[in-house]
Amino acid sequence: MWRMGLSFGRVPDEALLSGLATGDPEFVVAFVRRFQRTVFGVAFAVLGDPQLAEDVAQQTFERAWRHAQVYDTRRGSVRSWLTTIAHNLAIDTARARRASPVAPEDLDALLGVVTETPERRALADDSAERVRRAVAELPREQARALVMAGIYGMTAREVADTEHVPLGTAKTRIRTGTLKVRALLETEEKR
Amino acid sequence: MECERLRELDAELALGVLPARERADAVAHLDRCPDCREHVERLTAVGDGLLALLPGAEPPVGFESRVLRSLGARSAPKRRVRRQRLRLAAAAAAAALVCGFGGWTVGTVVEGAAPAVSQRTDGTLREAALRSGGHEVGRIYAHSGSGGWVYMSVDLGPTARGPVRCLLVHADGSTSPAGSFPLKDGYGYWGAPSGTDPASVTGARLTATDGTVLAAAQFPHA
Repeated sequence: MWRMGLSFGRVPDEALLSGLATGDPEFVVAFVRRFQRTVFGVAFAVLGDPQLAEDVAQQTFERAWRHAQVYDTRRGSVRSWLTTIAHNLAIDTARARRASPVAPEDLDALLGVVTETPERRALADDSAERVRRAVAELPREQARALVMAGIYGMTAREVADTEHVPLGTAKTRIRTGTLKVRALLETEEKR
Repeated sequence: MECERLRELDAELALGVLPARERADAVAHLDRCPDCREHVERLTAVGDGLLALLPGAEPPVGFESRVLRSLGARSAPKRRVRRQRLRLAAAAAAAALVCGFGGWTVGTVVEGAAPAVSQRTDGTLREAALRSGGHEVGRIYAHSGSGGWVYMSVDLGPTARGPVRCLLVHADGSTSPAGSFPLKDGYGYWGAPSGTDPASVTGARLTATDGTVLAAAQFPHA
C-alpha cells in the first residue's frame, strides 16, 4: 500500500498535462512554471529577441493547452513535445520577420553552448550529453551546418549563402553531420 | 521519388528544412516505403537531441500571468482547494499507471448517483468522470497494461462517510468488486488491481455498505 504525495513538484509531467487540459488554474500555473524556462529558452535561442521569444513561448503554451488531450505518450516526452512546438513556432516567426536567418556571432555562441563538453558533462551518460559529445566530434563546418539547419531551421540554400559555399557543399555538410551524429549515438547506445 | 533520391534528402527532411516541393515528394515516398520511413525517423532523433541541448532561459517578469490570461484561467477560488487536491491525486495516479508502477492507495468518498462524462486519453488508459446527482465528484482511470489497474479519486463533501465499495461494470451488465476503501471528510483516492480485463469494463459504481449507489462512471468505448 502506498500514498501519493500531493505536491505539484512530484507530479509527473504527463499528469500535469492532463491537468492543463482541464483548465484548472492550479494545474495551468504548475505546468507553466515547470516548462517556461525550457520553452522560452528554445524560442530565445532561435530568435535572439526576448519580445519575440515571449510571444512564441506564450503561443506554445496556448497550443499545448488546445492539444493536451491528443498528446500521445508513445511519441515522446511532454518536454520534447513542448520543445518541438516552441521550435516550430520560433522558426515560423523567424522566417516571417528576419531578412538574415542568423547573426554570425549568435551562431558561434550557440555552437559553443551545444558542443561545450567539460569533464563533468563528458562523463555524463544521458542522451542529451551523448548528442553533445557527438556534435563536438564533428568537423567545425559540419557542426555549423547542423546547428544552422537543426536549430535555426535554415534551408540548405540559406546555409550555402551564409557560409559562402555552393549549395551542394551545404547539403553535404548537413547530411554528413546528421548521419555522423546518428551513427555515434547508435554506437554508444549499443555499448 | 525513389529510395536513392530520398536518401540524398534524408537529413534535410528529418531536420524539417527541406523546401516544400521536395518535402511533398519525399513525404509521399515515405508513405509507401517503410524502410525509408524508419531511416528518417532515426535521423529525426538527431534534431530532437539538438533541441534538448538548448539552455533554458527565464522569461520576462509577468510571463506567467500573461499566459494564464491568454488561456482564460483566473485565480482559483478558495473552495477549489479540495477539488484541486482530488484532481491532482487522480492525475498522479493515472500517470503512475502509464509509467507502469502502482499499488494500493486509500483515501475517502460519499453520496449520490448518476451517469458520467468521459474521455479517452490514449490506447491503454481510459478515463471517466464519476458523477453524483449530476455533478462530477471524481475521476476514475482504468489501465489495461501489466495485469490491469483501476485508480480513482473522489470528493463527495465533508459530511460523507465511508467505507465505500467500488464495483466495475461490464458490457453484459454484470459487476465485479474492485475493493472497499474508507473516506476521510468525504474525500479519498485509491488504486488496485482490477482483477479483470479493464478493456471489458464499461463503467464503475461506488456504493455504500448498504448497497446504495453513491456515484457512477461510464468509460468511452475502447
